Amino acid sequence: MEIWRLPISASQRGKLISAGYTSLSSLSSLSPSDLARELKVSEAEAMGILKAASHSRGAETSNASCSILDGAQSAWDMLHDEESLIHITTSSADLDNILGGGIHCKEVTEIGGVPGIGKTQLGMQIAVNVQIPHDFGGLSGKAIYIDTEGSFMVERAFQIAEACIEDMSEYNRFLRKDFQECKINMKPEDILENIFYFRICSYTEQIALINYLDKFISEHKDVKVVVVDSVTFHFRQDFDDMALRTRVLSGMALKLMNLAKKFSLAVVLLNQATIKHTEGSFQLALALGDSWSHTCTNRIVLYWNGNERYAYIDKSPSLRSASAAYSVTARGIRNSSSSCKRIKMM
Amino acid sequence: MMPQSLLQLASQKCTTGCPILDRLLGGGIPCDSVTEIVAESGSGKTQICLQLSLHAQLPVSRGGLAASSLYLHTEFPFPFRRLHQLCLSFRSSNARHFPINDNPCDRIFVQSVHSADHLLEIMSKTEPFIENSITQVPVRLIVIDSIAAVFRSEFDNTPVELKRRSSLFFKISSKLKALAKRFNLAVLVTNQVVDLMGPNEGINGLRIGNLGCLYTSGRRVSPALGLAWANCVNSRLFLSRNEEVIGEENEKSNGDFVFKKTRRKLYVVYAPHLPDSSCEFEITREGLFGVER
Repeated sequence: MEIWRLPISASQRGKLISAGYTSLSSLSSLSPSDLARELKVSEAEAMGILKAASHSRGAETSNASCSILDGAQSAWDMLHDEESLIHITTSSADLDNILGGGIHCKEVTEIGGVPGIGKTQLGMQIAVNVQIPHDFGGLSGKAIYIDTEGSFMVERAFQIAEACIEDMSEYNRFLRKDFQECKINMKPEDILENIFYFRICSYTEQIALINYLDKFISEHKDVKVVVVDSVTFHFRQDFDDMALRTRVLSGMALKLMNLAKKFSLAVVLLNQATIKHTEGSFQLALALGDSWSHTCTNRIVLYWNGNERYAYIDKSPSLRSASAAYSVTARGIRNSSSSCKRIKMM
Repeated sequence: MMPQSLLQLASQKCTTGCPILDRLLGGGIPCDSVTEIVAESGSGKTQICLQLSLHAQLPVSRGGLAASSLYLHTEFPFPFRRLHQLCLSFRSSNARHFPINDNPCDRIFVQSVHSADHLLEIMSKTEPFIENSITQVPVRLIVIDSIAAVFRSEFDNTPVELKRRSSLFFKISSKLKALAKRFNLAVLVTNQVVDLMGPNEGINGLRIGNLGCLYTSGRRVSPALGLAWANCVNSRLFLSRNEEVIGEENEKSNGDFVFKKTRRKLYVVYAPHLPDSSCEFEITREGLFGVER
């Protein structure tokens, strides 16, 4: 709709057009005082113009809706939204770097590797780091940890939480000017309390829990990450019908993806490694087959390179493939540095 | 479905009976978890298992579980004599925790296993067995010594058979973990090793855990049952043994005498709660003990 249709006086219309406003949308983001200054009219008059403009715009949108579907967004808006999202740090700057800032919210990230590479460690670290308060650049959220293998160790999570709080107070000291009253009231116990821990003993339980998550998260809106450690374990037995397994798995992945979008949270799925037999040669690959590899937005493979642990971005729509070294220390996941040998707890 | 509170979940540990080893293991073998011990024959796997099933009977204040244990053995015969010997020294050093005429061996239930299917069958019977345990002492420890023996003979080396085998691994492991969760059990499983041939590449050289490669008796080895099984256990420990010459003596008539000593070491290959660490140990008449260096 154009300016000349607005129910305003001819002189006002003339002023608007000579100032360069030809369409209603160009008026949409203006404040009355800005408009008044630009048109050299009184503020009350500018207010009147804007009111008339917004009124006829309202009529227009109700007549012919501009967006086809509710909730549809332009790519520009989505980019804007994405930039304002906070990522969950992994506590290793190198790893965060290749991940574009950390684990992304609204996305499903799969992390896989051989036993002992640090999948569970990374999972616990993320469940702790999601709780870093806003003042420290965190999400100040809670975590859901779904343990299918029984590898979650409370004592280890406690250590990681302790180290995380120590790091935050260190950080606090450097930035005292900005955060005068920024006291850390967190205790490791609080961090553990904010991890909702579910232990799963069969795949039926796993599916039931993931169906239930929607309700659970609606009641606990501050949940910002769901970690499944591992998504694989119960699906590697009892499935003679592989087509059925694929259907069940992709149904589950879809639900998780919906959760991620709906509640703007990060979903982290840990996967095991397996040996794939193709054309007479054996190759290391992540478990659950080819169709599963389509279901996750991001896929990160953890592997050994000599004596160092590395993470590699195997698949991501927005990140370039890159690898970075990390290490598992007594304090949790940290940057790898050959000069600083891993600290032993003993 | 309700989430569990982590603060009430602190996992209990079962002491190994040696403070040095306990320190390395963060208190012992954890409950609600599957721990695997990998070693070549004669390294002390069975010794640890026997020792653990005795020490599980200690009261909680002494690091035990105040519980009896279920010992599934697949390698024959069961070392009754050694168990008896360990039992005597165990009882004499912990006399005040047990009545005078009490025999700790009474609280170790031994069952032999002949095949993988037999193992599954036993495990489905284990649940009612633990539930309706007639003794007052509940079962809190399951030992499988060894898991490899039942799997290494039964299956052919064809893709179909291997697939069936790994599916069985996951079945057994998930049953074990479900039991461990339900009754808060410690589960200890032993595994054998296979020699590694050829160059350090491909799946043969696949690195699993903290150690680049496992050496024992001067040979490079790898745990049996492959990657699939490695995914089935929560923690993996490795025992190595190496013969070391500690002195030589020449005698004219009998030729050369060489004095050898076996040095044994325990490594943490991977565990969710333990760092990369190792410890030397020795096996004596009284049992298995860590050596501080």
